[in-house]
Amino acid sequence: MHVNYSNPLSHKLLTHEQEVSLAQKIEKGDKSARDMMIQSNLRLAFSIAKKYFNKGFDSDDLLQESNIGLIKAVDRYDWRKGFRFSTYAHWWIQQSVRRHILKNSSAVNIPAHAKSMIWRVNQIKKEYEEEFGDQPTMTTVAEVLGVDERWLSEVYNSSRIPISLDAQIGGEGRTFGETIPDDKAQIDECLDREFLEKIIRSAISTLSSREMKILRMRFGISENPSDHENFPITKKQLNKIKGEAHEHA
Amino acid sequence: MSMPKGFKSKNGYSSVKGTGLGYREMAEKMTVSGDKMNHATARNVFLSAMTKIVEPIKKSVGSDRDTNEIIRDPSFQSALQQIMFEYNELSI
Repeated sequence: MHVNYSNPLSHKLLTHEQEVSLAQKIEKGDKSARDMMIQSNLRLAFSIAKKYFNKGFDSDDLLQESNIGLIKAVDRYDWRKGFRFSTYAHWWIQQSVRRHILKNSSAVNIPAHAKSMIWRVNQIKKEYEEEFGDQPTMTTVAEVLGVDERWLSEVYNSSRIPISLDAQIGGEGRTFGETIPDDKAQIDECLDREFLEKIIRSAISTLSSREMKILRMRFGISENPSDHENFPITKKQLNKIKGEAHEHA
Repeated sequence: MSMPKGFKSKNGYSSVKGTGLGYREMAEKMTVSGDKMNHATARNVFLSAMTKIVEPIKKSVGSDRDTNEIIRDPSFQSALQQIMFEYNELSI
């Protein structure tokens, strides 16, 4: 007998007595009993894997991993302890799926202990939010876990998922790279400014000497830098205006 | 009589804060240097000079904003002041 993975919902659930009976047969090396146990619990594996769908991982891979977890659980199940198989298998399946996610979630390889810590941080954050309706600070989380806050912050920040700059944003056609602002002034802005300055300079050159003198006095601009009597602008004021002009440039 | 509502630059004198001379001081200095004028004339000359600068800018950018409003706008005056400082330093 081979396990049919095609439709997990088509298999009937086992009673506790049936589980014990199959487990006893598996212990004796009955391959068909093992297949039956796996097949009858595919629904459980599917339901656990389903929780991780739509999180950026291939659903077929998740199902595959959950099935691997289920097989491990079948091979290790001890019927003498009296638990239902699903209670035992749940943790194996979950661990298998989570391990797959952790392994493939980042382009940067993060050590297993750090990944495990990130899971715990997320778990604490979730519980804290449910209880207090607010996000805990990293200090609080570090206190709960009994670890150094700085180290925890570094570990937690390393878990950020890198995104390709060439990746499209929600299929809009724009990439993430296109949304990053350019720190340097845009060429068209520079050209606009140059163009305007040219016009202003040309307009200033058409002013009469009387108008020019009045304009200079009004703005505190001297033709002669030592002429503080007619243009009483202080050096401090001049520097401030120069600074503002450079900021706008 | 109460002050009119809105920005003072829209209803009163055009002004740049912090630097330069007042219209009365400018009129005094111009009179001393041989060009007799009062504070109102100093203001009119200033506004006339500003108009001469604003008109070609308006034409080039295709703005239909009122010239009198632009020349009284403190932010425009500050921008022009900065450009004139640069202009002065480059001695163009």
